[in-house]
Amino acid sequence: MALPPPLRTSVTPAELELIACEQLVDIIPLVAMERTAFISGAYGPLRPPAKCKVPIWMATNLKLKKKCHIVPPDWLNVDFLQDRLTRETSQPEFSELPFRFAEVAKVILDVASDDISNPEKVRSLLQDIREARQAKSRDGVSKLDHSELSLPNLCAMEINEIRPFFVRSMGVLTQLVRQPDPGRMDQME
Amino acid sequence: MADWLEGLDLEPNDRPRAGPSFVERARHAPDDDYPIADDFGRPNLLGAVEEEEETPFQQLTRHWMNERQAPDILPGQEMLLGRILDHVRKQSDDVQLLRADPDSSEDEHFRIMLVQTEIERVKFVVRSYIRTRLYKIEKYARWISTTAEVHEKLSKAELDHARRYARLTEYHFNQSVLQSLPPQQRSLEDDMAFMPPMIPEPDKLRPVFVHARQECPPVRLPDGTSIAMEKGRISLTPYYIVEQLLLRGEVELV
Repeated sequence: MALPPPLRTSVTPAELELIACEQLVDIIPLVAMERTAFISGAYGPLRPPAKCKVPIWMATNLKLKKKCHIVPPDWLNVDFLQDRLTRETSQPEFSELPFRFAEVAKVILDVASDDISNPEKVRSLLQDIREARQAKSRDGVSKLDHSELSLPNLCAMEINEIRPFFVRSMGVLTQLVRQPDPGRMDQME
Repeated sequence: MADWLEGLDLEPNDRPRAGPSFVERARHAPDDDYPIADDFGRPNLLGAVEEEEETPFQQLTRHWMNERQAPDILPGQEMLLGRILDHVRKQSDDVQLLRADPDSSEDEHFRIMLVQTEIERVKFVVRSYIRTRLYKIEKYARWISTTAEVHEKLSKAELDHARRYARLTEYHFNQSVLQSLPPQQRSLEDDMAFMPPMIPEPDKLRPVFVHARQECPPVRLPDGTSIAMEKGRISLTPYYIVEQLLLRGEVELV
């Protein structure tokens, strides 16, 4: 089979993670490296202790070999997330977060929790935000019709999560309102 | 699968069925040995993409996701694929060269490892992209071989495969079952009321999640209203509504 059945209807979280890991992140290298050409661009030179921007996949790779510290993005800290959680629970709409925040946060927390201050708190805030947003997206089902549903500030992982159900629901609604095909009607008569 | 990849791989310049968008891309594509941060003017192609220019790999990733989400088969990105594969080959050659060098230091090994990691990541996306197309081509093989408008979206290798595949399955159905049935039941194209068609076609009514990459002209919705697809908007809407925007690269599927 060209494409295994589980991959046919949706993208997997692992694939979303792969895409998210192309994003750049600041690192503080612990080893020196000349500027090197990669397919996605040239990175470096790494000159400890100067900061450098590299893709997340490279940062995690270096981090796992204890060759760098990852500087977490501005939004990955207790203050920012606490603020977002307050907004998320007090306002009806989704608050603004980076499109791939869930993937990036997971990767960085997994490999570099020691570079984040208070990682446990960050984790629990992320979990709370996720739950608050999930409740909202479930409410979104009631607004679903056959033509269009606008989802401002929804993130990649969340879209992927609601995809199977929403796509199917809208498909059913589309069938219900579909104009009868004249050709078919003639045939039936 | 192997010679499938090869076909695409070896004929990046052989494009007898170039569709309009393809020609457009070809015209604006930079030469083979492009610098890493290529900032070529590609106004029609990418328009206002974020602030930074999309790298070829980012473009491929976008097309890969589009292909995965879209119910219909999208125009093949042969040119882009060719460039990426050339780049992969070049990086692999460099790695081979460096590894063969006995004087390379610890530091070198470490760089080589990073370069190889990236090569594998790129290869994964390339493979997944091709597999997605292959899946659609086999699923819709009979529809593709009879519908001329689709042909320009496929590369020569892909179209040949679709035709061959359709012929093979038809032959197989005939040999194994149909020839033993009464003649009026042998057809592979019966059109029965209330039954799905026997030749599967892409379901363009299927809803997709779409993200506007730039300001788009308003689109007309099935309920008669129209909406402006402003930049950054994320919507769930039937595929046919955004099909044209997608083909022009103004929106992406997420």
